[in-house]
Amino acid sequence: MGGRRRSGPSRRERPVKSKPCVFHKENIAYVDYKDYNMLRKFVSDRGKIRARRVTGLCPQHQREAAVAIKRAREMALLPYVVGR
Amino acid sequence: MLIVIPELDEEQVENTVGRFRTVIERTGGEVGEVNNWGRRKLAYEIDKRADGFYYVMQFTAGERTLPELKRILRVSDDVLRNMVVKLPPTYANRPLPEPETAEVSG
Repeated sequence: MGGRRRSGPSRRERPVKSKPCVFHKENIAYVDYKDYNMLRKFVSDRGKIRARRVTGLCPQHQREAAVAIKRAREMALLPYVVGR
Repeated sequence: MLIVIPELDEEQVENTVGRFRTVIERTGGEVGEVNNWGRRKLAYEIDKRADGFYYVMQFTAGERTLPELKRILRVSDDVLRNMVVKLPPTYANRPLPEPETAEVSG
């Protein structure tokens, strides 16, 4: 278990999430599907949408980012699968 | 946003997009900003085509605009893909990073 951001041995308490969601931080109200370069940060190199624990997004923005990625895929801005 | 087939030349593409502009205006909508992203590589092949002309239009819609526009988009053979998205009222026109234009021959 190479836990990231685990704060000490207090396994009972939830680890303090130090990083706030990037969309909140940058004050972006609308996750735009046209901004595919930004969305690229949230997909793996295989083209899969990254899990929330990896992206560190809040529930609202994770959802919006997922929708935006799916739209971008539909318009061939992002791939459905990379390789094979 | 719509993708026009790469076989056309710039002028024909303009004509195609102009057609949709007329449809919007005829049905009580208003066309705002039109962005031509130019010829771009597709992330994956669509109908054996590797690239296409990307256009992004912002418009307001009248009552009859959407069904009519979508119908015409669907039957247009020179449109590869299209997507109509409702923008939030707070939508700000942030400049997007200049899309890389695919340098393709033929």
